[in-house]
Amino acid sequence: MSVASKMKTTSTNALKNVGVGLVVLALCGAFIRLGFWQLDRAADLKELQKPYVEQPLIALTDVATPSTNLSDSAINRIVTFSGSYVAQFDAPGQKNKSGALETWLVGLLEVNGSGAILVVRSNARDELPKGEVVVEGRLLVRQFEDRADKSGDQLSRLDPSLLVGTYDLPIFDGYVVAGSEIVNGRKISIPRAQVDPARPSVPGYYWQHISYVVIWWLMALVVLFLPLYGRKRRSGVKGAE
Amino acid sequence: MAFAAGIMSLLLWFVELPVVYLLNDPDLASKVKWIPFAHGYVYAFYVLATIHFTARARFTIKRMILFILAGTLPVASFVAERRVMREFPLA
Repeated sequence: MSVASKMKTTSTNALKNVGVGLVVLALCGAFIRLGFWQLDRAADLKELQKPYVEQPLIALTDVATPSTNLSDSAINRIVTFSGSYVAQFDAPGQKNKSGALETWLVGLLEVNGSGAILVVRSNARDELPKGEVVVEGRLLVRQFEDRADKSGDQLSRLDPSLLVGTYDLPIFDGYVVAGSEIVNGRKISIPRAQVDPARPSVPGYYWQHISYVVIWWLMALVVLFLPLYGRKRRSGVKGAE
Repeated sequence: MAFAAGIMSLLLWFVELPVVYLLNDPDLASKVKWIPFAHGYVYAFYVLATIHFTARARFTIKRMILFILAGTLPVASFVAERRVMREFPLA
């Protein structure tokens, strides 16, 4: 073999080794990252098993702005605001705390000095209160899936975007499940929709995610081991020849 | 190990996943919740056993990887085990 062809072979081998090295590093990195992802899911699951801690009451306008997506920190907060109702709708197919389907009475309330917000008033029929109303309730993220057909006085889901264009008001993202309403200093006594705080769900179980951590990191070790195994195997085959 | 990994894959694909994602029965779902994590740990041991065996049998890297991946599909690990038993009767 000439010197030139030997040099060519050496540089080709070096390039091949660099390529294999990069692939091994990329795969190893990906597997380690996947292991950490599963570890995070296991930690999230553990966190979700802890009881929910309620935060102090806050003004709606301190945590949310009309026509802006709700921030994570605003979701589930018990908020208070005042204003007057401008419309009322039915929202059928809504699940309560115990999983039963109900039709909720939903008002669109124009908040003083700000936009409007959807308020779940009750799971029973009631007249729309007139005048200034002070509402206290839990702020929840908007719904994405339809529960019913949409018509003039019926909402297919609790989503302010369904009302954009119908009302000339900037609307807050999400909706509030009212715990109390006070009109002219008098508390309205009607049955309220019962809901749990919205909590992100992580599918699976703690030890299942930990087992996947073990597998992904094991795969990272396997990827590191394979090139060494290949080299050892080749030298073994050459030795046998 | 291939046999155990195959059984666990069958249970995962045809028992646990349908119960959790197709049936709305929390009681039944809680009864099969051991399957996914038992499958996870059995598969980890399957990978170690596969590497040990294929390295001793001097399999190519491609064949080793195929054997490792066979543990992720319900029937593939049985097929892999059968082929190995045919090739290495004492294995």
